[in-house]
Amino acid sequence: MKRLSWAVLLAVLVAAVPAGAQQPYYAGKTVEILVPFAPGGGTDIDARFFAQFFEKHVPGNPRVLVRNMPGGGSILGANFFAENARADGTQLLATAGSTMIPYILGLPQVRYDPAKWELIKVNGVGGIVYVSPRTGVRKPEDLVRPAERLVYGGISATGLDLVTLLLFEVLGLDVRVVMGFEGRGPARLAFERGETNIDYQTTPAYLSQVVPLVREGKAVPILSMGFVNEKGVMVRDPSAPDLPSAYEAYQALFKRKPDGLLRWKAYQSMVAAAFTFQKALWAPAGTPPEALQALRTAVDRMRVDPQFQQQAKQILEGYEVLRGDVAKTAVLRATRITLDVKKFITDLLRSKYQVRL
Amino acid sequence: MAEALHAAVELFVNPTRLSMLVLGSAVGLLIGILPGMGGIVAVAILLPFMIQLDPFSALAMATGALAVVHTSDTITSVLIGAPGSAAAVPTMMEGHPMARRGEAARALSAAYLSSLVGGILGAVGLTLSIPIARPLVLSFGSPELFLLTVLGVSFAGSLLGKEPLKGLAAGLLGLLLGTVGPAPAAAEVRFAFGQVYLTDGIHLGLVALGIFGVAEVVSLLARGGAVAQRLELGRGWWEGVLDVWRHRWLVLRGALIGMWAGVLPALGATAGTLMAYGHAVATSRDRSRFGKGDVRGIIAPEAANNAVEAGDLVPTLLFGVPGGAPSAMILGALLAYGILPGPRIVTEHLDLIYTVVWSFALANVLGAGVMFAASSLLARLTYVPFRRIAPPIVLAMVLASFQETQHFGDLVTLVVLGVVGYALKVTGWPRGPLLIGFVLSDPLERYYFLTVKLYLRPEEWLLRPGVVVIGLLVLAPFAWSALRWLRTRGRGQAEVRGGQPPGPGAVATAAVLAVFAYGWWQATGFLPDAALMPVSVAALGTVLSALQLVRELRGQASPLRDDDEGEAPAEAVGPRAWRAAGYLASLAVYVLATWFVGIRWASVLWSLWFLRGVARLSWFAAAVYTAALVAGLELVASVLGLHLPAGRLRL
Repeated sequence: MKRLSWAVLLAVLVAAVPAGAQQPYYAGKTVEILVPFAPGGGTDIDARFFAQFFEKHVPGNPRVLVRNMPGGGSILGANFFAENARADGTQLLATAGSTMIPYILGLPQVRYDPAKWELIKVNGVGGIVYVSPRTGVRKPEDLVRPAERLVYGGISATGLDLVTLLLFEVLGLDVRVVMGFEGRGPARLAFERGETNIDYQTTPAYLSQVVPLVREGKAVPILSMGFVNEKGVMVRDPSAPDLPSAYEAYQALFKRKPDGLLRWKAYQSMVAAAFTFQKALWAPAGTPPEALQALRTAVDRMRVDPQFQQQAKQILEGYEVLRGDVAKTAVLRATRITLDVKKFITDLLRSKYQVRL
Repeated sequence: MAEALHAAVELFVNPTRLSMLVLGSAVGLLIGILPGMGGIVAVAILLPFMIQLDPFSALAMATGALAVVHTSDTITSVLIGAPGSAAAVPTMMEGHPMARRGEAARALSAAYLSSLVGGILGAVGLTLSIPIARPLVLSFGSPELFLLTVLGVSFAGSLLGKEPLKGLAAGLLGLLLGTVGPAPAAAEVRFAFGQVYLTDGIHLGLVALGIFGVAEVVSLLARGGAVAQRLELGRGWWEGVLDVWRHRWLVLRGALIGMWAGVLPALGATAGTLMAYGHAVATSRDRSRFGKGDVRGIIAPEAANNAVEAGDLVPTLLFGVPGGAPSAMILGALLAYGILPGPRIVTEHLDLIYTVVWSFALANVLGAGVMFAASSLLARLTYVPFRRIAPPIVLAMVLASFQETQHFGDLVTLVVLGVVGYALKVTGWPRGPLLIGFVLSDPLERYYFLTVKLYLRPEEWLLRPGVVVIGLLVLAPFAWSALRWLRTRGRGQAEVRGGQPPGPGAVATAAVLAVFAYGWWQATGFLPDAALMPVSVAALGTVLSALQLVRELRGQASPLRDDDEGEAPAEAVGPRAWRAAGYLASLAVYVLATWFVGIRWASVLWSLWFLRGVARLSWFAAAVYTAALVAGLELVASVLGLHLPAGRLRL
């Protein structure tokens, strides 16, 4: 009897081995998305949104959890990932523009290198610049001769505001920049109160918060930050096709193209890193190819899932989700700036905004 | 108004919405009980379920959870003295001494009842103010917000305690602690000592857990025995009901303060609760009982902390500017339904807003009702010898602190702040002003700089009507005190007691002086806009603590006493302080062991040591208890999706 049960057990085990080999890589696994920001922020919301669709579309339906590790403006979490992540496809990192900017500028605290990671997906967001009607500005050309001095409310010169500061530089605007707001929301409230008169919002916030103001005649949209396509060319923002991009604004103002200018190179690579490729999801180097394949296929499946498309309309604002292997070259190109561009940025920050990098 | 009624009716008759609301409230209550866990954890757990529901039910569920997390966190605050969140600190400061006197049931029932009433008042206030909230919020410019934070800081003035010099210095210490991390107005990280962990500043939850929670638990252990030192004196929950009725106007004022602190940007939930507490103290004629268990000190902040959550929904829904992380997560869930917060929500989704409002009210009634009914039962916990129940409490605090950022720095910060908190407690430094200073440090500095940079000429902002009105509110108590001082001059000045030899109190004062002096010296090297706040705070702190030190060395300070014992002789502090130092050291060892072997094994070791060596259980009992503790840890962690600190050795 005892011998028989051993034989049965053996038979079951033997039968189970090939069956197990047929199982999808992620069956029964738990994937953890590490978000280096506090819960409730844009990257957290993006990660949680994608988590449910990875659960649905990765073969084997793994459990996908979000883990928040805020600190050091996302440097701490990204460092942790670079040094500790398991390279078996069960630990992923969600990054934002503010994770990439310190990397691009080569800040000493940064101990991560996205060039070594595997990109799973990337999706972006746009930025719309608008002014108060009091400024008399109706189109980009008017920005250089406003009826009253332009005042901009920012958060911190080394965060996403760096893009705005570079835009002002590119267009040669005279703007009084007041840093110190807690976020873009409070900065927008200051615009509504009349304390500032030029502001930008990311497209989701622009469409929900600022478009009503535009209808009431309390705000005038001027230009979009622009969108960098896979060829590395700046085009109009897909969710604001009526507005000129920063590229066109430069042409309208100076009657020539900005390509080749140092300040333009700096601006465009920052737009790409901080807006066009803002929300990226990475796996550590050495992640098995079958895991990467499963995750990236899931991205393809999401793109055709009607439920995803419907919800993505609000969360992603009509911007495309790109498969990591397709977009990686473009994303990494945006993070590589030449030494003269880097010097231009650090000089600008030091001389105009008292930033010691 | 019609929409408001309709939403309410719909909520009560729709079975899905109602059951989701009840479910959300249950989750909120359970999570609120765990010290240090609050709305974020609750919403994070519910989020995956919310996505499956229709927007109304999902919102009812999330609101239900958020509405009651501050209701159940009262339990640990009152019974153990470990505040469930920073907002529960005032409840702990007054409720815990009441529990010690055997009045836990009274404290709990007063807290729950005022929570309930505060929540309902908040919901009613929201209903009335939604049509006018938008222009009202926009009428508060940066100068008004700056003055509001000044007003908040000035509320600390009523919490200074017996020695105003120490109270002021404690408030300044809080302000200085709040400047750690990024400067709001200049690109500079301050007092980070090269640690990336500190570049975001010190987390509020850790301050509450360390300065108050750890300090309280350690001092309870050092004293020995059960929490309650006396048997119930015949008063019970009914006494708490009567208290709330007696102070009904205080409930109303507390709820109003809380609601507006939630509605307006800049202040935040914790500041609103603390301001309600400060207000209760400031407006009371007899202040002698505050800090020793005055029920008024529970009623006002408890009424406020639920109303604050209601008020917080206004900027979240009307402006898309969430006041806290939980409401930000709700915002994210709303986006997935295609509901965009902002000006249009009032015209397009008014029914949704009122669903939120009434879910909020209903959840408050449910949550506070359940807890209220249980308060007599819960109060009995205070008669259990504290050593028996300490291990799960300590473990919960360590685990909660690790949820702040999930870096090991959280645990180190907890221990350091615990030591500081205990030292401040036994040397009679009031910790209330410290917390107010800490909470308001960032908005105070931020809105000061925004004001002076957005309004280039001082008269542009100083003469704004809002600034003048709030400014007068700030100055009124000072004028009143000055007037009183003038009238009573010459009388009652026999305070000076000679012959107090300088003791450990002077050491603590000297340490505070050293911190201020170091901060001053360091801060002078910052960029001008990053230096202004820390330099002025540290300079003033240096002067005040030096004056205090001189007084103490001359023996003019009031005698050192243990907070717990009223007028206990100074000797009582000695041996007990040594025991407390031992417990703090064991906590440090616990954290160190966590670093090496992970929290599971570290907890096993610590718990076995504690139960054998301190609680004197048998080996068998200690082993069973420890096994149950670790099993509980695993269960809680897997249900809540929490991460357990793993050790270097990866066991």
